[in-house]
Amino acid sequence: MFSVSHKTAFVVDHCPYMAESCRQLIECDMLTKSRSQGVIPLAPVSKSLWTCAIECSMEYCRILFDVYPTWKLVNYIVSDSEVHILNSWKQEDQNTHELMAALAAVGPPNPRQDPECCSVLHGLVAAVESLCKITEYQHESRTTLMDTADRVANRGRIICLTNAKSDTHVRMLEDCVLETIQEQNKRAAGSDRLMPIQQCELVLVHIYPQGEETLVSDRQKKELSSMLSSEVHSVRAGRYLASKLNVLVQQHFDLASTTITNIPMKEEQHANTSANYDVELLHHRDAHMEFIKSGDLHMAGSTSRDSGLKETVTLKWCTPRTNSVELHYCTGAYRISPVDVNSRPSSCLTNFLLNGRSVLLEQPRKSGSKVISHMLSSHGGEIFLHVLNSTRSTLEDPPSISEGCGGRVTDYRITDFGEFMRENRLTPFPDSMIDAAGRTPVERAKSQLERYTRYWPMIISQTTIFNMQAVVPLANLIVKDTLTDEDVLTCQKTVYNLVDMERKSDPLPISTVGSRGKGPKRDEQYRIMWNELETLVKAHVGTSERHQRVLECISACRSKPPEEEERKKRGRKREDKEDKTEKNGKDTEEKGWTTDSERLKGVMEREKDEQSECEIIKDSPDSPEPLNKKPRLATEEQQPPEKSKGLALPSASEGVVERNHHI
Amino acid sequence: MPTVVLLDSSLSMTRPVSVEGSEEFQRKNLAVHGMTMLFEHMATNYRLEFTSLVAFSSLWELLVPFSRDYNTLQVVLVTDGALGIGRGSLRHSLQTVKQRVDDKKFPLPFPFPSKLYVMCIANAEELQATDSMDNLEQLINLNGGEGQIYTMEGPLCLKSVQSMFGKLIDQAYSPFHAVLRCGNLTSDVQVFPRPEPVTIDEEVDPIPKTVQTDLEIVGFIEIGDISSPPVLSRHLVLPIAVSKEGDEIGTGATDDTEEETSTNQMAGKSPNFCVLLHGSLKVEGMVALVQLGPDWFGMLYSQADSKKKSNLMMSLFDPGSEPLPWLGRMSQLGPASDAAENPYGEDDSKSPFPIQPKHKRSYAQNVTVWIKASGLQTDVQKILRNAKKLPEKTQTFYKELNRLRKAALAFGFWELLKSVAELLERECTLLPDSAHPDAAFQLSHAAQQLKLASSGDSKYAAFEQNITPMLTDFSGGGGADRI
Repeated sequence: MFSVSHKTAFVVDHCPYMAESCRQLIECDMLTKSRSQGVIPLAPVSKSLWTCAIECSMEYCRILFDVYPTWKLVNYIVSDSEVHILNSWKQEDQNTHELMAALAAVGPPNPRQDPECCSVLHGLVAAVESLCKITEYQHESRTTLMDTADRVANRGRIICLTNAKSDTHVRMLEDCVLETIQEQNKRAAGSDRLMPIQQCELVLVHIYPQGEETLVSDRQKKELSSMLSSEVHSVRAGRYLASKLNVLVQQHFDLASTTITNIPMKEEQHANTSANYDVELLHHRDAHMEFIKSGDLHMAGSTSRDSGLKETVTLKWCTPRTNSVELHYCTGAYRISPVDVNSRPSSCLTNFLLNGRSVLLEQPRKSGSKVISHMLSSHGGEIFLHVLNSTRSTLEDPPSISEGCGGRVTDYRITDFGEFMRENRLTPFPDSMIDAAGRTPVERAKSQLERYTRYWPMIISQTTIFNMQAVVPLANLIVKDTLTDEDVLTCQKTVYNLVDMERKSDPLPISTVGSRGKGPKRDEQYRIMWNELETLVKAHVGTSERHQRVLECISACRSKPPEEEERKKRGRKREDKEDKTEKNGKDTEEKGWTTDSERLKGVMEREKDEQSECEIIKDSPDSPEPLNKKPRLATEEQQPPEKSKGLALPSASEGVVERNHHI
Repeated sequence: MPTVVLLDSSLSMTRPVSVEGSEEFQRKNLAVHGMTMLFEHMATNYRLEFTSLVAFSSLWELLVPFSRDYNTLQVVLVTDGALGIGRGSLRHSLQTVKQRVDDKKFPLPFPFPSKLYVMCIANAEELQATDSMDNLEQLINLNGGEGQIYTMEGPLCLKSVQSMFGKLIDQAYSPFHAVLRCGNLTSDVQVFPRPEPVTIDEEVDPIPKTVQTDLEIVGFIEIGDISSPPVLSRHLVLPIAVSKEGDEIGTGATDDTEEETSTNQMAGKSPNFCVLLHGSLKVEGMVALVQLGPDWFGMLYSQADSKKKSNLMMSLFDPGSEPLPWLGRMSQLGPASDAAENPYGEDDSKSPFPIQPKHKRSYAQNVTVWIKASGLQTDVQKILRNAKKLPEKTQTFYKELNRLRKAALAFGFWELLKSVAELLERECTLLPDSAHPDAAFQLSHAAQQLKLASSGDSKYAAFEQNITPMLTDFSGGGGADRI
């Protein structure tokens, strides 16, 4: 987490000698020659050592920020007679645009400045001081860890681009860094905003012009003390320096290279022909983990690149199919950075991906068998190399879900639950979005799910109201956290509409599965429906006073005294079955899904005793006890006790009859 | 993880175990007893585990092969710890482990992630009396410390072999039971293979995280939005029926005893939330985000194995507050209905995902890189190409010119600005008679501005400043009195 690569301090020498030409000539006046005879071509240009150092370090940062947009921080320091610190460790400062603007303000080194007062040493001292400064990430970790805050480490790397005089000069620079670390660590020990440096890697890059002999020798990494290691690279300016820094950025940040091969591209001149191109990408080396583990790295077509220092794995472009949305089994996804970012093949590939297409990549194998091992895909303007699982799965050939629990039930409310899922889709909220109750968005999402599922029968034959279009407006509103007066009105209208339907004796979609004959009579159907509706609304009655009003509306509208009389008569005939009903009621309640629904249980708790006997009305003997029976209690509450018993019985006992019959 | 059981069938395994007054057992019988216990446990509680049995002495014989290859394994070695002597014995092999040539490497460490469990049909004292224990420990060390040695406690008998294998079962083969919850809708489930603890950052946070047994759904996301996320592992989520006593009835899979069959048929016929969820996820092409613990999430989705078979699958994301950059912080995901405006659009035509990062990546922002000469040449050519098409291409001309200017200023490459200025001046002199008069004005204006910038004068060399087209009589900007 806080490895050496958490903090990188660039120190670039801005002394007069860096204004010297790198002596690599670039012709910018090439294509005009053919056109105009007699025109003397302009002299080629050449970059200064400074320009070479800047553009290569910017390239290092570009790759770094592409692959690690967070956590890996750069502090850029320019040194001449004084120190210019171009940015801070803050995440918002970590982009090449800011750095380029700051570099433009510094400008190239002034060759006429007094060389005596200029030195890269100022920059190295500033770099050590800067490494002691705590980053936002270190601060956050220390704050959250509290008592184990000492686990947060402080390590870093200094990359110094300079033109040194000699090996002795290099030694002097190293000694200076070591001394400064010791000094600064003493200072840091007594400060909250500073941390002592535990480990520092110094990477000195000596840059010299083409055609000159180097005065400084390369040296491999060497421990100068327990805190400081140092290495020296002596590199010619220009493309040698560029490839050196490219190798370094890969070493420093565990990167690896993949070359996408066989990318078909239309030719610029001939739009109807296409040729195949290769594009090299850098990314975290874990994207090659499978090859490394299986020892396949060489088999996977890895070849040495022109730099001769690093290898690249070749993967073959597979022409994408139509935009099918598929969930691949992906074991890793790593941000990429193209090595040659604005070459035509690179930008063609990246634009193709940024436009939303994905490309599968094939691992070339000796045997000729085709293995898709990776996928390139962009998300939010960032391109990722996805690692697809290509080994055999331990989960092959599992039993189908239809063979397990609940697998034989065929009337799940699949479409309704699909609708439920759409209503409960997630969306990102700004970081500060915490509601009045102090809940984070994800907590609000959970509480919404809780509300929406207080009464949610899983199968079609368990419910009447959710099969009725007329109930939809109320059902959609009642689950909400808050209702407006207008919402209450809509709910009331729904209820009136149902009353109207009942008056007209419209048929209801009551399930007749498992029941004999035509199923319950029309008035019985309405009673079942009203009971279920009451269950739904009762589950939400505690939410607000307006929810309460909806329940009141139902209670007021549904009373039908003449019909009760009739039921009372029928009820008496079946009184002898009451005991059985009660038993079954309890039994089924235990097993039913309502057992887990604590909230619903709470709502029902008060009425439980009177309730149990009437709890099961079975639509189907095969289906578990439906909840829609519970509403009956509500009816009972309003009625005198004897009456309510009578009222409840007929359908309850019918259910029992069915059940017994079936068994 | 699939399991390979290795049974030591060397002669020493036939040594009798002396137990007074009872039937005489050989160590082999005890081993078989323990292994039977292990296999029976798997058959009832860990049904989907793949197992293979290999018997070995100085040679080996594959008794029950795997039907496929895997990338991870658990190896259970059942032995009496008698290591043998001479060439080919474990003792000799370990002593010469460093002298082996590449093509005859010692099998450990295995070239795949693995756990090695050594079940000793012997007690610890017996093994410590010789160097057996040291050698076995060395095996575990060679496997990167992944694994464990089990020895028998007390006398060698059926009871103690049972207790030893019982420990292995608890350690490596206990089924993972959980409750899957979506608000008030719930289902008891077995998660297979069981999710192993995960350690993310050993330095700052060395405590392994374990998946909690309460799997709570927090909401839903389209498959296109979650977009093939990287996952740590995948697991089947199998609904299980739990009877009143709390005993598991089974996952309802086939091939049960008759007794179980009826219970399973019952379980098959009562509605289960997993089946409902699976069906709707499949139809809608969505996934359910599920919370696995504090700051740890995963997703549930329908996984089709073939055309007919499909299953509810759970994948675990990396622990942490932001496992998928394109979803942002998980704790900041809330119900879409809470947003002021429906983020999915009234007709489902929009999506709040993916989240756009603050800064564009280099490949998405037309950066300037001149490391290769061709990069620089291309940029100069672009300017010249547009220069020849002035005034039609005025906007593009200045856009490319300013891009080059910015980069040259940042790189301290003033020489280039001077060169390009000269190129433009020359272009101006080469304009044909038929050229639009505005072209000459723009070219000399641009050349002059570049020269001023190359002086480093802060008035003309400011990075954020751009060279703007000169307003002329011909540019139609209404500035008739300018020139």
